[in-house]
Amino acid sequence: MGESVAGVAANVAQQAPAIDVDFALIGHQECWRAAADVLAVLRGPEHPPLPDDEIRDIFPWIPPRAICHVEAGSIAGGKARGVYIDSFIPPDRLDANYMRDNLARVRGAAAYAIKAGAKIVSLGGFSSILIEGNLDQLPERHGTVFTTGNTLTVGFIVQGIKKMCALEGRNLRRSTLLIVGATGDVGSGCARCLAPVVKRVLLNARNMERLRTLAAELEADGVQVEIATGLQQFSAEADVAICAASLASPSLLLGRIAPGAIVCDAGYPKNLSPSGQMAGAKIFFGGLGQITGGLRFKPDFQGILNRHPFPDVVHGCLLEGMALALERRFEPFSQGRGFITPERVEEIETIAARHGIFLAPLYNADGPVEDGVECLAGWSAG
Amino acid sequence: MEPVIDLNCSLPSEGTFLTPFALIWQDILAQAMTGELVAALNYTALSTICDDPAEAADALEHAAGEQGHAAAFAAEGRKIGVDVPNNVNAKHWKRLREAFMRRIAERDFIGCLIVQEIMLESFAVASYARAGKVAPGSMGRTFASIAAEEEEHIEHAMAILRTERALDAQRFDDKVHGLHLEVMTTLAEMLARECTHGHCEVCHDSCVKPSLSEVSLTAAELRGASLRQYLKTLDMLGLPGEVTLAWVSQLPV
Ligand SMILES: NC(=O)C1=CN([C@@H]2O[C@H](COP(=O)(O)OP(=O)(O)OC[C@H]3O[C@@H](n4cnc5c(N)ncnc54)[C@H](OP(=O)(O)O)[C@@H]3O)[C@@H](O)[C@H]2O)C=CC1
Ligand SMILES: [Fe+2]
Ligand SMILES: [Fe+2]
Repeated sequence: MGESVAGVAANVAQQAPAIDVDFALIGHQECWRAAADVLAVLRGPEHPPLPDDEIRDIFPWIPPRAICHVEAGSIAGGKARGVYIDSFIPPDRLDANYMRDNLARVRGAAAYAIKAGAKIVSLGGFSSILIEGNLDQLPERHGTVFTTGNTLTVGFIVQGIKKMCALEGRNLRRSTLLIVGATGDVGSGCARCLAPVVKRVLLNARNMERLRTLAAELEADGVQVEIATGLQQFSAEADVAICAASLASPSLLLGRIAPGAIVCDAGYPKNLSPSGQMAGAKIFFGGLGQITGGLRFKPDFQGILNRHPFPDVVHGCLLEGMALALERRFEPFSQGRGFITPERVEEIETIAARHGIFLAPLYNADGPVEDGVECLAGWSAG
Repeated sequence: MEPVIDLNCSLPSEGTFLTPFALIWQDILAQAMTGELVAALNYTALSTICDDPAEAADALEHAAGEQGHAAAFAAEGRKIGVDVPNNVNAKHWKRLREAFMRRIAERDFIGCLIVQEIMLESFAVASYARAGKVAPGSMGRTFASIAAEEEEHIEHAMAILRTERALDAQRFDDKVHGLHLEVMTTLAEMLARECTHGHCEVCHDSCVKPSLSEVSLTAAELRGASLRQYLKTLDMLGLPGEVTLAWVSQLPV
């Protein structure tokens, strides 16, 4: 079905813009439950939900398209209008076997954003991983720019780590930090931000060559670095870990980490396998921000497209596009891979904060990790 | 072999070995042929309400083209040793035809194009293309080339429909939605993974859908491909994708 989805990319771009929008968010559903909820909203309350087997049959055939309008408010007063575009990648088909089809879907979604006249497009989750290096194959862009949103994501992951350390009374300066997916765009950005403030870093990914390059860069700044392609090969146990590998499903087993380690799962979909036993680990989901100036979906996908226990929480990658739209700064802020620096992170955090976009309250599969933070009524994990 | 004889079909030519697959293809060809004959009837009817003689001639030419497709499917049946029956009065096809004829009665040229070219042809293009990939030998080529021809003649209608939509998009979209409820609901029932409303009156015996996997097809895939083609066609007309997806997601399964 790859060719046909790609055909959509060519076709939709021929059309005049149907809706006038500042930003577009390209996303995909992380699990079948989320996919089912999306279809349930589209069907409306008067139609009973589709049986699960029908959903699994129908979902993969849906061509990429907008499913709702989004309005983001700024605490500084402005508003930005956008659309959420789903690439309709089936949640269980993120792996390499479906690469071609998924790339076609993301390209279709990107073409849809161009057609919609979006000035800036955030490439959520796997979208940026898939389309990287293929942006030039999109239809003519008429002023639409793309951002991976990874700089703000890194900002929120780093803020989350620091907050968690403060909550747990840990001294980050004495910590050994493990980054899984360290050579990725998010992972390397986290490494550059945190390496100078920890005792030592352990970098993990599958490709040794890229690990060596990153290690050399960090070591030049005097950081103590260890690299390994296997998590069991490090000489020390980490007491802080960031999981930012591009895993198709929650399958990561961290194994050897210090008891009570702080662990940030930044994957979209999640990295950590639910069956992974980590005695006393303080796990939280990282890279998430909260938009305090108001967030509205039409039709109402609140809590469906952003399945978090707190209101108006969104992935950092998507929030970056909204922040830039509110700032009226339509530029490809995060582009390519491996260019995220602490300076750029600070810059996007400042822009986001100006419009009321801050680190979201921390939570994990069991709910909020901070005392005294209430979660939304009806929220359930998973 | 018995059902074939029951249906008064010709026996396989000498030396031809009639496989169970032939009976499955017989049913698939029968649905395709029936669809083509319905299309031929529809275009003939359309020619009677065209104000422009050139359009009328065009419609008649299309009708002849669809007759040709029906004949091509019948010929493919003969090659595998089966006669391909057809039944334009089978319940679903009859309903689809009646929906079209109501537009004819209203002399609603645009409505006719929406029903035939956007809805019925989406189904034809997508399902023939799938069949074309798995059907053996010349039958596969026939399915694929007819799918391509159908897609081509949609283009002409698209130009007319785009012009019409440009006049009043909301009115146009409302009209498509009305027809969607009438026509696509019937198509969705035909395309459902299982027939829950009794025999379709086209298949030679019991419903062919559960047997499709034996020829590397599934009912779910034919439905999925058809609905995707329909959504893509509506996209090309400029209808908002989030709206058309909501319509499609509300169809019966
Ligand atoms: N929370 C949020 O808001 C956001 C989350 N993300 C998520 O962050 C993750 C990383 O994204 P991004 O940095 O853009 O991706 P990249 O493709 O740039 O990097 C992926 C990294 O993971 C490594 N990797 C892949 N598979 C494995 C494995 N099995 N074991 C160890 N390492 C592995 C890759 O290296 P190698 O190939 O050498 O193994 C590479 O270092 C994704 O899940 C993404 O969806 C992204 C944006 C926002
Ligand atoms: Fe035809
Ligand atoms: Fe046709």
